[in-house]
Amino acid sequence: MARQKQAPKINGSTKPMVEVNDLYKSFGDKPILKGVTFNVYPGEILGLVGKSGCGKSTILKILCGLLEPDSGSIRMHSDEVGLVFQGSALLNSYTVKENLAIALRRRKLSRKEQERVIAEKLELVGLRGFEDKYPTQLSGGQQKRTSFARAIVNDPKIIFYDEPTTGLDPVISTVIEDYMNELEDRLNAASIVVTHQLSTWTRTADRVLLMHDGRIEWEGTPDEALISSNPYIQQFAYAKREGPLLDSTI
Amino acid sequence: MVSSVRSRNGIFRPVDILVEQFGKACQLLGQCLILLFHTLKYIVRGEIDWREVWRQSYKIGVESCIVVSLTALFTGFAMSLQISRELVLFGADTAIGGVVSLALVREIGPITAGIMVAGRVGSSVAAELTTMMITEQIDALKVMRVDPVQFLVVPRFVAAMLMMPALTVYAMALGLIAGIFIAYTAANVPAATFLDSVKQTILDRDFGTHFLKAWTNAILIIVISCAIGLRTRGGAEDVGIATTRTIVWTMTMLFVCNYIITAVTYAPR
Repeated sequence: MARQKQAPKINGSTKPMVEVNDLYKSFGDKPILKGVTFNVYPGEILGLVGKSGCGKSTILKILCGLLEPDSGSIRMHSDEVGLVFQGSALLNSYTVKENLAIALRRRKLSRKEQERVIAEKLELVGLRGFEDKYPTQLSGGQQKRTSFARAIVNDPKIIFYDEPTTGLDPVISTVIEDYMNELEDRLNAASIVVTHQLSTWTRTADRVLLMHDGRIEWEGTPDEALISSNPYIQQFAYAKREGPLLDSTI
Repeated sequence: MVSSVRSRNGIFRPVDILVEQFGKACQLLGQCLILLFHTLKYIVRGEIDWREVWRQSYKIGVESCIVVSLTALFTGFAMSLQISRELVLFGADTAIGGVVSLALVREIGPITAGIMVAGRVGSSVAAELTTMMITEQIDALKVMRVDPVQFLVVPRFVAAMLMMPALTVYAMALGLIAGIFIAYTAANVPAATFLDSVKQTILDRDFGTHFLKAWTNAILIIVISCAIGLRTRGGAEDVGIATTRTIVWTMTMLFVCNYIITAVTYAPR
């Protein structure tokens, strides 16, 4: 269960890559985020965990510019952002190669250079030889890996993962988690992983934020999470039925 | 929608339905105008993916040929049969070609191709874009900083503008062939006489109206289907709802705009 990678070196002089300050967001009358504040540093994977509907994916959508916050501020110190979607979100009428090429469009590379970059990224996720396949011809794990390759094709300095292992079997989940750690080592990016899967946040995250009811209820390392006496993280980490996470809804 | 109006008051209120539909129509009109503005902005700037235009032209033009052929051919047969029968009664069988061609160039060609493309392409575009919305493919494009309007709408728009006139001319030509066949078999009018009548009747401005209708149909089909597709959220059920909405609105607007163009270009002076 313990993490298999080296923790990033973060000290007082390290500048955060992502700064989220006092974020609020409501859908209609329903408040989803109630003042969320956190930073993510280069080389760090931040695990954003919590039960369904607590606002984790909303934060990612706001960070990616897909939603506007009601108030609060976001500062991202890089324009290069990659997002791995929960459902892969590959364009079904385009091949694997074309899906990656779409992400490269604005760089206006020569055809030769574009093919080199695509081959390099597909090699990284173990999908060489799948260039001309359509997403529907790939397995769930292969689709997820293609989504990884697309997210990192521009060598982003910030990567977001939205439930990267949900719906995958434990073996493929482990493979995906290994890719996340490997990418982190190679790119030294600041990453946020939104997940429910215990194995994913314990194996990949350097720091974990537990969200509940639109707020951050607990923060610490995965190792601390497993021994913490905080009732929220205790209930979440050990999937207990009794505890504060279900009080407001059941 | 009807059920919501009913349940609110316990009774069926057609006026409420009309008001609700009017509101939705205004909303759709606004979305279509904004989408059209953004699409034209990219076209004016020359930011067009010609490879994708080629791919969409094949889908819109070539793959619609069979269905347009069958519709145009049988509409031509039925219309020519009716016209031949009436004109023969009045001894005006040499005018069959002129009357048939007038109907084909001014109305039947554009409207037949328009309806078939709306049914085949409009519904497929709406279903495709709605599915892309639901499965976060559009969000993926936005994260990659690719504008969905430039990437998805512009190529379809340009392809439709190129292919619709071709399809309407094709529908008109097939209708004429059907007319020649019926005029010969039902009224014993030779093909040469039929074509002479066509030449004497059809004016240049008829072709102008023909192409104006074809381009209007192309704009309506692509803009309405894309506006609905790019605005729909939800689940699998919403794909069906979006497709039905597209067909209903596109067909209605095809007939409305067809009449407006006819009224403007052929109004008695």
